[in-house]
Amino acid sequence: MAKQQPILKADDLSKRYEDGVLAVDHLNLNIYPGEVYCLLGANGAGKTTTINLFLNFIPPTTGTCYVNGIDVTKDPLEAKKYVSFVSENVMLYGNFTARQNLDFFAKLGGKTSLTKNDYYQVMRRVSLQEKAFEQRVKNFSKGMRQKLGISIAVIKDAPGILLDEPTSGLDPKAAEEFLEILAELKKEGKAILMSTHDIFRAKEIGDRVGIMKEGRLVMERTREELQYEDLVKIYIDYMKSEPLTMA
Amino acid sequence: MLKTIIRKEVLETIFSYRFPLFAVICLLLIPLGMSVNQASYAKRVRDYSEQVRLANEAASAIKIQDVMAGTVAIKGFRPPAPLSVFTQGFESTLPRYYEFTQDGFKPGESASDDESILSVQGKVDFVFLVQMVISLIALLFASDMVSGEKESGTLRLMLANRLPRDTILAGKIGGGYLALWVPFLLAFLMGAVVLMLAAFPLFGGDMSTRVLIIFLGTSLFVLTYFTIGIAVSTSAAKSRTSLVAILIIWAAFQLIIPKLGDMVARLVYPVRTETEVSLQKSLLVRSIDMDQAKELGRQWDLIFGSMSQEARDKQDKQDSPENKKWGPIRDDIQLRARERKAQQLSAIDETYLQEKRRQLNLAVNLSLVSPSAAFARFIADVCGTGELERAKYIEAVRSHQKALDNELFSKVKRTLMIHEGGHMSLGFSAMPVDASKLPKFSITPASMAETFKANVRSLLSLLFWLIAPFAFAYAKFSKYDVR
Repeated sequence: MAKQQPILKADDLSKRYEDGVLAVDHLNLNIYPGEVYCLLGANGAGKTTTINLFLNFIPPTTGTCYVNGIDVTKDPLEAKKYVSFVSENVMLYGNFTARQNLDFFAKLGGKTSLTKNDYYQVMRRVSLQEKAFEQRVKNFSKGMRQKLGISIAVIKDAPGILLDEPTSGLDPKAAEEFLEILAELKKEGKAILMSTHDIFRAKEIGDRVGIMKEGRLVMERTREELQYEDLVKIYIDYMKSEPLTMA
Repeated sequence: MLKTIIRKEVLETIFSYRFPLFAVICLLLIPLGMSVNQASYAKRVRDYSEQVRLANEAASAIKIQDVMAGTVAIKGFRPPAPLSVFTQGFESTLPRYYEFTQDGFKPGESASDDESILSVQGKVDFVFLVQMVISLIALLFASDMVSGEKESGTLRLMLANRLPRDTILAGKIGGGYLALWVPFLLAFLMGAVVLMLAAFPLFGGDMSTRVLIIFLGTSLFVLTYFTIGIAVSTSAAKSRTSLVAILIIWAAFQLIIPKLGDMVARLVYPVRTETEVSLQKSLLVRSIDMDQAKELGRQWDLIFGSMSQEARDKQDKQDSPENKKWGPIRDDIQLRARERKAQQLSAIDETYLQEKRRQLNLAVNLSLVSPSAAFARFIADVCGTGELERAKYIEAVRSHQKALDNELFSKVKRTLMIHEGGHMSLGFSAMPVDASKLPKFSITPASMAETFKANVRSLLSLLFWLIAPFAFAYAKFSKYDVR
């Protein structure tokens, strides 16, 4: 099978902040349609910075981020057409109902002619309880808000999805449901980049898993490779060691 | 896209706990304030009509003997400004009337006869509510529109879409402002209905134009404060920081700058008190009168020699050669004295006015750093209760004094003479006066063109505060760190 074009691509990407901290150091990454890439690493390893660079929230110091082949610094608005984003803490608009939140973000994502039923279908798909559809989001649990967050990504129907620690703080059931949704999106051909601390779920869902340390991608393993290796041990070893060259 | 953001901002504002509070404040206080001030205005109009009637009666009963006796004091009343229902301005501090005598004019008591506690705490009128309450609420509403969304993470979600930042900013300003403006509009309309029910002449003359200008001016003022709030919000990473910053800005604009401007002007350009100037003028008049009396006495003595008082009185009535010589000399001395008096009094007045103008200019220029001061000045002038009205009032007083001097006071000539040896004599000559034809006191109200011309600086200040925060917010938000 001919290799497809990556939806999300980081090419020699570096980011050094004004205070001198090198958050991302010469990162190269390609995420293809139907692939889930899990980025592991301690706090401050550069995972969120990588996602921020893909969203053009911050400019890179060197290198380039591409979304669907579009350089995000050159044409950020066009690039954002092809990517959805779910953050760690999906707060949304507390005084709006779930449907109103979904309606607002769907319109921002370019979906202007959706009906109430379309919204309900998407919320059902992410397993949000039916009674919550017309409830104000301020009373939602974190799990419910994460589900609504992913429904925003689903409704946009972009080929690339960026998830910034989406399962952090979720109870096991909610986290499991979340992974089921990701698996479905993967089946649909979405290219997913997920930053996470959750080694077990990374191994479960990830087609590839990378470990970042001090801005560098210090290890990358495929799902197949991880069948024969202990990801927890690898992760702890890398966290303890000095940054090394790519393994 | 802009419509979507505007709609979202409107809904978000309406659903917030602050909105009902704001709506209640607007819908309750604005019509209530207008109603209370309308009642006060109606009372002042009744008082004014009665006082003008009495003053006209007294004026038409004036006889030349009263003028000769120097007991004539004609009162000219200032009519209450109808639009004082919107802002009191100088309405309660301006003299209700001026008293005109042959020695000049002096102010009567001020219009304030209100014994309520508001006399101490400040009147609650429309402009006060807008300046002190609505401006603060506008700032509060705007303060977390950007920084609050950053904290909640929704700004990142928004910007993860194909959405230009200027569209977000425009949507936030448009939507947030619209949610504030609608309750304000309703409250204003309710106030207008309250005024109409109270038979207020809302559609007389250029009243409706002025009311429309008040409404538009106030709408722009609220937008100014809202944009300042947004600008602050785009400069802060946290909504708490925005809140502290806007409270400082509000206090500076409402309380510190306008008062500081006045204080600095008083320190830099101190001005004498009215009493000091009045005393200086009295001394001058007395001195010129004395010089005139001495000169008249000297000339009389030269022409008539040392006649007895009785003989002088007889001589005065005869058509003698001495009398023919005396007449032009007396008139010349009196004319020169009058001219000298007018010239020197005018110089004192002009110097005093210049001092006051210099102080006022500095105070105004400094206070106009605050959009709030600019707004209050402009609206007060539109309502006829501001600086322009004060200037028009005093202009009318001066002009009326001149008219009365010509039509009444100059009809009696008092000739005081101090003869050699120090003894004095006093003579009168009087012309007939028709008291019913005396000019009536009136103030020409400032036209809208004059109002705009006098408020160019205020309008420029408001325009600056409308554009600058928007430009600042635009520049800041285009580089705003949403992380």
